[in-house]
Amino acid sequence: MDSEAGREEAALLNRLRTRLADFEKDRANLLSILRMIQETFSYIPEEAIYMAADHLDLAPSEVYGVATFYNQFKFNPPGKYPIKVCLGTACHVKGGDIILENFERKLDIREGETTPDRDFSLERVACVGCCALAPVALVGEAVHGHMAPSKVEGLFTRIQVEKEMAEREKRRHESAR
Amino acid sequence: MPRLIIDNQKIEVPEGTKVIDAAEQLGIMIPRFCYHSALGAVGACRLCAVKFLEGPVQGIEMSCMTDARDDMVVSTDDPEARAFRRFIIECLMMNHPHDCPVCDEGGHCLLQDETVSGGHDIRRYKGKKRTFRDQYIGPFVQHEMNRCIHCYLCVRFYQEFTGYRDLAAYQIGYRVYYGRFEPGQLESPFSGNLIDICPTGVFTDKPARYRGRRWNMERSPSVCIHCSLGCNTVANARYREMLRQEARLSESVNGHFICDRGRFGFGYANLPDRPRRAEIGKNEASWTEAVRALANRLTISDGASEMKKTAVLGSARSSLETQAALAILAGSAGWPMPAYFADPHQSSVCRTVVRRLDEGLAVSMKEIERADWILAVGADPINEAPMLALAMRQAVRNGGKAGVIDPRPVFLPFDFTHLPIPREQMEFCLNHLIHSGIARQEADDAGEAVAGFYAQLPEEAEFEEAVREGISTLAEGLKQSEHPVLICGTDIVPLSTPDLAADHAHLLNRIKNTCGLFYILPGADAFGAAMLEASAESAFEDLLKAIEDGEITALMVVENDLIGAYPNRKRLETALDRLELLIVLDYLSTPTVDRADFFLPTTTVFETGSCFINQEGRLQYAEQVHAVGAPIRQLRGRSHPPREHRDEVPGGDPRPAWRAVADLVRALDLDEIRLYTSGPESWLTGSKGPFRFFQEKIYPPREGRILPAESEVAPFKSSIKKEAKKPEAGTLDILFVDRTFGAEALSALSEPIRRAEPAAAAFIHPKDASELGLSDGDSAILRFEEGDLEIPVALNNDMARGLLVIPRKPDLEWQTAGARFPRIARNRIAGVRKETE
Repeated sequence: MDSEAGREEAALLNRLRTRLADFEKDRANLLSILRMIQETFSYIPEEAIYMAADHLDLAPSEVYGVATFYNQFKFNPPGKYPIKVCLGTACHVKGGDIILENFERKLDIREGETTPDRDFSLERVACVGCCALAPVALVGEAVHGHMAPSKVEGLFTRIQVEKEMAEREKRRHESAR
Repeated sequence: MPRLIIDNQKIEVPEGTKVIDAAEQLGIMIPRFCYHSALGAVGACRLCAVKFLEGPVQGIEMSCMTDARDDMVVSTDDPEARAFRRFIIECLMMNHPHDCPVCDEGGHCLLQDETVSGGHDIRRYKGKKRTFRDQYIGPFVQHEMNRCIHCYLCVRFYQEFTGYRDLAAYQIGYRVYYGRFEPGQLESPFSGNLIDICPTGVFTDKPARYRGRRWNMERSPSVCIHCSLGCNTVANARYREMLRQEARLSESVNGHFICDRGRFGFGYANLPDRPRRAEIGKNEASWTEAVRALANRLTISDGASEMKKTAVLGSARSSLETQAALAILAGSAGWPMPAYFADPHQSSVCRTVVRRLDEGLAVSMKEIERADWILAVGADPINEAPMLALAMRQAVRNGGKAGVIDPRPVFLPFDFTHLPIPREQMEFCLNHLIHSGIARQEADDAGEAVAGFYAQLPEEAEFEEAVREGISTLAEGLKQSEHPVLICGTDIVPLSTPDLAADHAHLLNRIKNTCGLFYILPGADAFGAAMLEASAESAFEDLLKAIEDGEITALMVVENDLIGAYPNRKRLETALDRLELLIVLDYLSTPTVDRADFFLPTTTVFETGSCFINQEGRLQYAEQVHAVGAPIRQLRGRSHPPREHRDEVPGGDPRPAWRAVADLVRALDLDEIRLYTSGPESWLTGSKGPFRFFQEKIYPPREGRILPAESEVAPFKSSIKKEAKKPEAGTLDILFVDRTFGAEALSALSEPIRRAEPAAAAFIHPKDASELGLSDGDSAILRFEEGDLEIPVALNNDMARGLLVIPRKPDLEWQTAGARFPRIARNRIAGVRKETE
């Protein structure tokens, strides 16, 4: 985790502490608290679980038990480039799981996880509505159709190139000022 | 009472009985995973499906969720029901790994049994299995989540039955994960029951991992000797080595479960340094040589038949057979009658207990579960007798109220009222509480004796606000109570408290028609020891005095670590120095054994059948598990398998302590030939004390209480003080106490228990600590006259002021303090700052 993200998260945790105080100390409030945490962080960090447990006088295991029961709660921060691999019917038939596996291998994380530098997160989704392009993957909002293992490699090169271009642009901008 | 037919057999069962239990009464075991009679039904696993042919329910239903009702006709082996169950098993097996060959549960795995007997023999599912990461959950239990079939038994037991919350269920559906929030030792001291309760291999016995299948084990019903409750176990040994213990169902003592101290505390029996050879001086000798030489030394020289006067100290951890044999030896040799408690405090309180407990008052743990009001005085159940805490929790779950009067920081896994009263004021608090909970009219109606006793109880009391509130809550509970139970500890209470508790139990008994009395004693057979001491009026203090005066020059210590147990190290050392002869019989290597002039090795509870009487006066028999001898694993070099023919078992010298006594009686040519000519039934028979029970000459004896119908001591003779004793200013009281792990002498030697025990720390109230300039984690140096004792302090709000609570760990030289309940001036305590990194 780079220090910028660390500082940001520490600030959010501080804010969370004050927001928790708005909730009555009643275990029935656990779900609303979890939703609030997810809204604040876009995921549920470990420290927040301890804080929620402390607030409601529950064991952390109980809070985590409720949170993991729902698929909508995330436990890893979203990456700068969220990658979604479709495993809907058409993509499944066209080998979407091979694409997913390629991403996993390339990024060295598993589905549902985020790279340590928080650049990429990997997720599986069920149908993005363009079955004609199967198998499909999304990087951010951009849809990439007719995916193949070689194209996974290409995608990362493209992202790298885009990144470098943006940096060059930034530097030029700064030197011009 | 509903009558129904199950598999063509008629049965009548009480209202509310589940069909699965009704069938069990007929001997029909309906397959089940999630149903447990101690935990009730949830209908999660769907395996107990049966077909209801006629009656109010029709078709396939879960037998654990259906109450038995009139006119039901149930078939457990209807083809439809069998097909249903086979299908359930097939579904459960889809994600279950095929690792039975390397799984420790294999051989006693319920899932394995149900899979085979359910007829699921060919796997149709070809897909991937779901996998999990396992956790480290402590030194007792091994975690292996891939094998899970999601029956929820573990979490229900752990959270609902024992009241701990660090093991929970996560996620949903087939991904449900049982574990801790983060890896670490399970907090519950009852975690070992997960091993028994898990129907498959998710939780297995860690110390016994990969050591043998169930059919490799020598298995016998045994009794736990790590506290006074006497929980029932099944002991498993292999190759002369104790490997595993399981809980054994006892309706009146422990129910289905045991604590981790009992389950994993057996390690002392396998220790490589366990003394297995007799010793004369420090030289090894054969058993016969040693006994003969000992007899010679005991006989005064020049061939006279007169014998050296010898003091005998037995033990509360010895079997009843050994304790009785010692009394017979001392009696026939003309020695003073044996003492059994090295600690004078224990001796005195235990004798009171056996004099006061009778059939009218005694209750078992099962009856405690049914109580609606429980008050414990001077007791810390989770540390002194862990299973008692579990029994109390069940009472509270059923709507009962519980309270504890104790100066220590008492933790219990349920809601209770803790009154942290200084030790000297506990009796006063108890008196006041009972007075507040009983109306004068009720006492007057119960007869003159009760009214007279009640009138002495203090009406007014000055306590802090929080304590006063606690007292009124408990008094209110007592007013409404119909089945009250008093629990009385013996470890830290003043000498008069057991008497007082009995009087209060009598008082409540007369008013409410029922009141239980439950004592906690120090040791597995402390009850038998106290009975023998009480009937002979013997005490170790008197023997020690005689040794100091030079009247007695020989001391025989049997299965007792005298040096570890006697509270004044200096006095004892001086007395031992005066001895001409110290004879020690034991199965442990202790400081006392190191000092012995003669040593005879004895057997553990696993190597001899033996009787123990638990704290409610219940006599139980622990069977022999394995033959005497060093574990084969410990035989070094080329000694196994044996290369040369020998007729003895390596390390096979130890004999039961009562056997050693019998051999000695024979060598001394004493009258009591019954000790070596016949079995224990011949010499355990008698007319008084524990031996009343053996009139039938059955050995091993039948299990049961051996209490008198009514105690010989008349109730209501306790002296009641009108005022609470004020604690002395400028001093701190020190309590040396038991801990769940690490303070009890036997289990503290067991490897897994040692790993589970928390670091030694003295508990102190934050206000006292700040007056002394100590903060959490600092070390306190207590400067006693005989030496210093250094121990880190832990601050705790929930305890009495003016107090230091120190665990009685074997490696902590607490005997330096010189007294059982020492008091130390505040200016004799020095602090050492915690080292900060």
